[in-house]
Amino acid sequence: MADFRNKTAIAGYGATEFSKNSGRSELRLAVEATLTALEDAGIDAADVDGMSSYTMDNNNEQEIFRAIGGKDLKFFGRTGGGGGGACAPLLQAALAISAGVANVVVCYRAMNERSEYRFGAPLQMMAPTSENVLFAYSGAQGLYTPAATIGLAMRRYMHETGATSEDFANYSITARRHAATNPKAFFYAKPISRDDYFNSRMIADPFRLLDCCQESDGGVAIVVTSAERAKSLRQKPVLIRGAAQGSPRGTFGMGHFYRADIAPRDECAAAARQIYETAGLGPNDIQVAILYDHFGPTVLPSLEAYGFCADGEAKDFIKDGNIEVGGTLPVNTHGGQIGEAYIHGMNGIAEAVRQLRGTAVNQVVGVHNVLVSAGSAVPTSAAILGVD
Amino acid sequence: MTDADGRGHNAPCSNKDFDFFYRGLEAEQVLIQKCSSCSFLRNPPSPSCPECHSLEWQTLPLGGEGTVHSFTIHHYPPLPDFKTPHPVVLADMAEGIRLLGAMDGTAPEDIRIGMPVRFEFLRRGNVAAFRFRAA
Repeated sequence: MADFRNKTAIAGYGATEFSKNSGRSELRLAVEATLTALEDAGIDAADVDGMSSYTMDNNNEQEIFRAIGGKDLKFFGRTGGGGGGACAPLLQAALAISAGVANVVVCYRAMNERSEYRFGAPLQMMAPTSENVLFAYSGAQGLYTPAATIGLAMRRYMHETGATSEDFANYSITARRHAATNPKAFFYAKPISRDDYFNSRMIADPFRLLDCCQESDGGVAIVVTSAERAKSLRQKPVLIRGAAQGSPRGTFGMGHFYRADIAPRDECAAAARQIYETAGLGPNDIQVAILYDHFGPTVLPSLEAYGFCADGEAKDFIKDGNIEVGGTLPVNTHGGQIGEAYIHGMNGIAEAVRQLRGTAVNQVVGVHNVLVSAGSAVPTSAAILGVD
Repeated sequence: MTDADGRGHNAPCSNKDFDFFYRGLEAEQVLIQKCSSCSFLRNPPSPSCPECHSLEWQTLPLGGEGTVHSFTIHHYPPLPDFKTPHPVVLADMAEGIRLLGAMDGTAPEDIRIGMPVRFEFLRRGNVAAFRFRAA
């Protein structure tokens, strides 16, 4: 069993503004977020000796390190993919620090995903790598985009659970309501109505535009160090109680169409088993959940996979108001990636830190443990963060 | 792309694990892999049998009959070789294996989970292809 429970802590976080056109390089966004996070923590840049991000990030570790005046980088590892990796840098940081390989690890994600390039564009001619030939195999059938790939899995989920577009609307309306009171959110002061939801155009049935996360420019960085060291720093330490990756049999880089159950739960369930075991906690110990919403409807199977309700019951759990601020399990209190910004989930970790410090704009009372998840229907990751 | 390098097909992104599949389409067959050692069927292509680890395999042509396990209707963005909105279905094939296939040519509103389908062959540009239609 993993034995790094509560041995490391998030000592600081930093973020740029979230926009559709940052007007500066991705590297500068990464550097700004990193410097802000170090300032927040009260850690000198010269003390940073580890860095971790996802393979999809374009910012070279050494270039960030050069820009911040780093001295001796000992640990730099990437975790596969994009949004599925959201919590995996925390796992890497916790492992590296608890093993004595590094002392201060900066986890970062920075991108001009709206202004410089866009995800979800059709497959172009690519080198025949093991991943690309699989994408091409699906692309030849006209299945090119994350929305269509995950939409196909969610159509089956609807068939099996009776969830409908009305249930999907309930999530989007809630996320946008949370974003509406978050001044950092791109959709600050812009809640949506049920009519807005149903009037939004189809992207990949069953997903409408208002089911889809935003396309965003921005950067977020998280500073991890030992729990012992964090005690004497500027902020209340946010302990990493558990972190894990999940990629069960049948999972591809994106999708999992060839195993019995194609609802996007199994990756999350694999991560859930590990984080609860490592943390020594269960779903009832969690006060706030940050559940990855590349596509809002996937929050339904994620609620089930992480044990907050039984399979098929998420639609009623949401309808009954449980995921709203004031409900039994507020979810995505920052507005999620639909409402705040799409920084591949790193902004969700920042929201977990704020909830645990007691500084969130939509603050929940009495938060001791927050569960953060990463992309579903892809190889995923998750973490449980907490304060004593 | 044309078949300048003798792969026997014009699919734009393939390798030695996947070439047999696209060559099959040129011959108007949808081929899957059958393990030569334990007969386990697998799809999409992969170099070894996940059950017995054998690297030896044969191709098995699917008969074409299946039922829709799930589907999506792609609306946006526009795609090369497809007129949007176009359906894509995941079918449970009679052989007991799943197959992802385009279902353009059928009206999106006519597609239901559980409906019987069968595949047919066509070309998209100079690339051999298949798609489903209602059975």
